[in-house]
Amino acid sequence: MSVTGLLFSGHSSCTRADTVVDRGIRRLPVLVTLFVLCAFAFFLPQPAQAQSPIPNAVPPTDTYSGPRVEQPIEFPHDVHVEQNGINCMYCHTYARRSKVAGIPPTSKCMGCHLVIATDKPRIQKLTEYWEKREPPPWNKVHDLPDFVHFNHEKHIDRFVLGNDFPVERVKEVCAFCHGEVKNMTVAEKSRPLTMGFCQRCHQANEGPFDCWKCHK
Amino acid sequence: MSLQNIIENWSSYRKGAEQGGHHNYEHLWGMVIDLNKCTGCGACVTACYAENNLAVVGHEKYSRNLGMNWLRIERYWDEPDLGEESVAEYQHHGASFLPMHCQHCSSATCEPVCPVAATYHTPDGLNAQVYNRCVGSRYCSNNCPYRLRYFNFYSYYEESWPAPLHMQLNPDLTVRDKGVMEKCTFCVQRIRTAKDTARRERRKVRDGEFTTACAQTCPTSAMTFGDLLTLHTPGGGVGETEAASLWKKHQVELGKSRQQKQNPELRGYRVFEGLNTDPRVLFLERVREV
Ligand code: SF4
Repeated sequence: MSVTGLLFSGHSSCTRADTVVDRGIRRLPVLVTLFVLCAFAFFLPQPAQAQSPIPNAVPPTDTYSGPRVEQPIEFPHDVHVEQNGINCMYCHTYARRSKVAGIPPTSKCMGCHLVIATDKPRIQKLTEYWEKREPPPWNKVHDLPDFVHFNHEKHIDRFVLGNDFPVERVKEVCAFCHGEVKNMTVAEKSRPLTMGFCQRCHQANEGPFDCWKCHK
Repeated sequence: MSLQNIIENWSSYRKGAEQGGHHNYEHLWGMVIDLNKCTGCGACVTACYAENNLAVVGHEKYSRNLGMNWLRIERYWDEPDLGEESVAEYQHHGASFLPMHCQHCSSATCEPVCPVAATYHTPDGLNAQVYNRCVGSRYCSNNCPYRLRYFNFYSYYEESWPAPLHMQLNPDLTVRDKGVMEKCTFCVQRIRTAKDTARRERRKVRDGEFTTACAQTCPTSAMTFGDLLTLHTPGGGVGETEAASLWKKHQVELGKSRQQKQNPELRGYRVFEGLNTDPRVLFLERVREV
């Protein structure tokens, strides 16, 4: 079983935002095993994934570069996604069932980081927030105007769950609108996310064209 | 899709009504309001304010007809010619109340006059207003025979929802700013949610699964909201909804400017039907002893 698989199997137990410290400690043996496995995983050769294209999808091509949004903690997406192969929806778990993808609760971070990389300054900063029982004040990067209705669930359904596309490769679909987050540290906006951008994609992928589908 | 409809075939846009509408409708949301049940309590108006982020404009602006109430209760005295001295008496007889919100006309007079197509018909049969497209020409409200469109002459955000009241705003729709026309949407955010849920569960939207804020709140259940598609295409797919069966029962047909009722005792009527706007709200006349 890969690291990703293990993390996924532990997923349902740590979705609650109010997991308390002692619960984390009770699970310490599990976490230590996990840590050891993780350490092994670093040395194992990564299986080369055959990158077949996504079925029934025309990915958008527009790009955007704008000011970088500063975050309270320099969260390294690349370490989590590229090096450790963690699925986007392991942390952004609401993407498949709600409008917003969501920021994971600190308890989910601490699920691993009570034991992993605790000597790193970024993790120490996270632990400070955890002990103060405050969420880190993340800043929004992909912010849509107030009059736009965007639903993550429907897009995940269209391109992944209802499209016979393996969920393990969901990051390729996320990249449609969020760019190559797997290579970024702090997420940056790399697609314009304008109405034209949405419409070109809706046209190519036969999405709805009614004004009230997206405007509110 | 809908916009294409307007642009490609503007001239035949209005003809649609007689031929059963200009769309291949997916739904045809409509309403029945039983005036026998309405007590004029105004709960529906309050619900609408809460659900749809309607600005509270204050007494002074309201008395200048600048109120933003998408749903208003119109009040009619039953016997208007009793003379001044008997005011008390006819008030004793009581008033009739007519809750009026956008009639979502199938051939809406407001739609063809909009210079930027900010108001149009959705495939759900709703008369839509796209706020970010609206340039504020106000043609639509001048062309609405019911006067059910409301214009933001001011920016009401700070005045209407001073902190912490802004926490009560419904996140499913915008707060409209100055220079934008707005109107009843049949709670499109609820329709959207119901459709999303139905899609997630791979089924059709069920009748009674959701309703508009006003219908939900009405203490006497005077309002019935539902899909009228069965009236529009007989034998078409969906099972008959409660609203549609009421339309049928009162022998009011869509797409007509004059109804041929076999039984004149039936109470159903539509407001300003003769203008051929084909409104989607059916009123059931109030009956009382004289
Ligand atoms: S809530 Fe019902 S009874 Fe009260 S005014 Fe509205 S329609 Fe009439």
